[in-house]
Amino acid sequence: MAIAVGSRILSLMGIKSLAFVAVGLCVCAVTSSMLQKHRIEAQLLRADPAVLPKEAGLMSYAGQRGRSIFGQNCASCHGSNGQGDSTRGIPNLRDGDWLYGMGSLSDIEQVVNYGIRSYHPKTWNLAIMPAYGTLHPSPRDSKIPSLSPANIRDLVSFLLYRQGHSSAQGKAADVRGIARGAALFSDVGGCYDCHGPDGEGDPAIGAPNLTDRITLYGDGGPEALTQSITYGRAGVCPAWITVLGPVGVREVAVYVYGLALRGSG
Amino acid sequence: MNRVDSSPGPVRTRRSFIFLGCGATIGLLLAGYALFTARGTSTLVVPPEDVALVNQQPISRIDYVQQLRAVFDVDFEHATSDQRRKVLDDMIREELFVQRGKELDVASTDPEVRSAMVNAVELEIAADAISTQPSDQQLMDYFAAHRDRYASEGIMTVADLIFDVGDPADAGRAAAALASTAPTPEFISQWHAKASPTVGDEQFYFAAKIHLGDQLFDIAKGLGNASASAPIMRHDGIHVLYMFANHHPVPVDFATARDRVLGDYRNESISRMRAGDETFLRKRANVLIANDLR
Repeated sequence: MAIAVGSRILSLMGIKSLAFVAVGLCVCAVTSSMLQKHRIEAQLLRADPAVLPKEAGLMSYAGQRGRSIFGQNCASCHGSNGQGDSTRGIPNLRDGDWLYGMGSLSDIEQVVNYGIRSYHPKTWNLAIMPAYGTLHPSPRDSKIPSLSPANIRDLVSFLLYRQGHSSAQGKAADVRGIARGAALFSDVGGCYDCHGPDGEGDPAIGAPNLTDRITLYGDGGPEALTQSITYGRAGVCPAWITVLGPVGVREVAVYVYGLALRGSG
Repeated sequence: MNRVDSSPGPVRTRRSFIFLGCGATIGLLLAGYALFTARGTSTLVVPPEDVALVNQQPISRIDYVQQLRAVFDVDFEHATSDQRRKVLDDMIREELFVQRGKELDVASTDPEVRSAMVNAVELEIAADAISTQPSDQQLMDYFAAHRDRYASEGIMTVADLIFDVGDPADAGRAAAALASTAPTPEFISQWHAKASPTVGDEQFYFAAKIHLGDQLFDIAKGLGNASASAPIMRHDGIHVLYMFANHHPVPVDFATARDRVLGDYRNESISRMRAGDETFLRKRANVLIANDLR
């Protein structure tokens, strides 16, 4: 039946005319698809990041495209599933624990856009972890003092105690060290200035919470803490806005937002 | 004999014109779409990623949302129309003034603007330098080439005993006695010596160098655990150093040093790129220097 209809149309129009119609239809299809893509991208960009997570269709569209962008640009550091790498201080994007901001789509997008210590003028670069075991702990603040090895040991004892590690509790020597560490934390060391008097961190400047057991570097044990305090930390994420453009940035931000939701259950 | 009529019939001509018209319309649509959506073109439509265009200069939507949060601590959804308008007006005002500043060429007169521009260009070069993530192999090669930089900081516990210049023999005898005993407070008082305030404190090498000074530090570095130096004559007295414990710097492996290696690698890339950019700028510039300064 279909073959008969096809033959009839062919005999009426001629093969050249049919080819013209086919090309025209293809051009229309491509144009329509471009317009449709442009419309969805415009919708995606105009959506308020605070409301976008409620738009299931847009989230799914952006998430799928963001996954591929993530694979090409971010996976080399963050891992293909965003699991990070604590041996290199690469954050896990699935655990729902955010160093910068509170994990809103807008916060994530800002990090992707302008990076962390990326040298972009709008980058997140308000604080670095001083290298207390060096002559000049902070290149920005000459008032931050160096600490002695004993000071650093005391601080480590205090931090392990705050995280509830049993090995840091009990012995009299440890108790004295913890007390000295607490004093250093809230006085000479100046740790309270970024990490807060309670040590719970400050997401506005990327200062981690020191009272939980989520660690960015190493296993969070004495050795890793000593390394961090002695030699400092200042992780970097490039600014992606010039590479990915606004649509790409939003799509990858949506993907990462989804990763965290799935990862943290 | 039959002749084949090859001239186009009226139907075919009409059909050709219809196709030509369709093709032209589609072409114009595509060209118009590309023209009005391409970056850098003048347009009457605000691109979806922006909230406004001020003389074709975009004000980014994400910056606008961030500004709303910074000024009113509110997201776009919950901001009132007054709040939205206020922030947008402020951002447009800023853009207008920046553009006016460019017209007035304030950079040629205002040192702060000049300094900000120099800084911004340097930042941009640095941003380019760090946008490429070095591979582990590149980092390991860099680590191997600069192996001496990556060691733990040395730690020493040292006492600096100072004897009166009046009796050099005393200092010599005290130094000999230190071969079998540590400098306890009793020992120090018995030999009428003064002790540095950091006696018995563990210090990083850099701190000990500051406390002891270069000459004494160089001698201290070479002392083994529980050993004393020979008397050292200085302007303020005769010094004898007693080393309680000396932990020399230990080279660290790549895994431990990776973070520092990456930082150094990036800093070197930035310096290299800045130098390259400066060379390029100098090369293409027409710089004339007065005769007396050549």
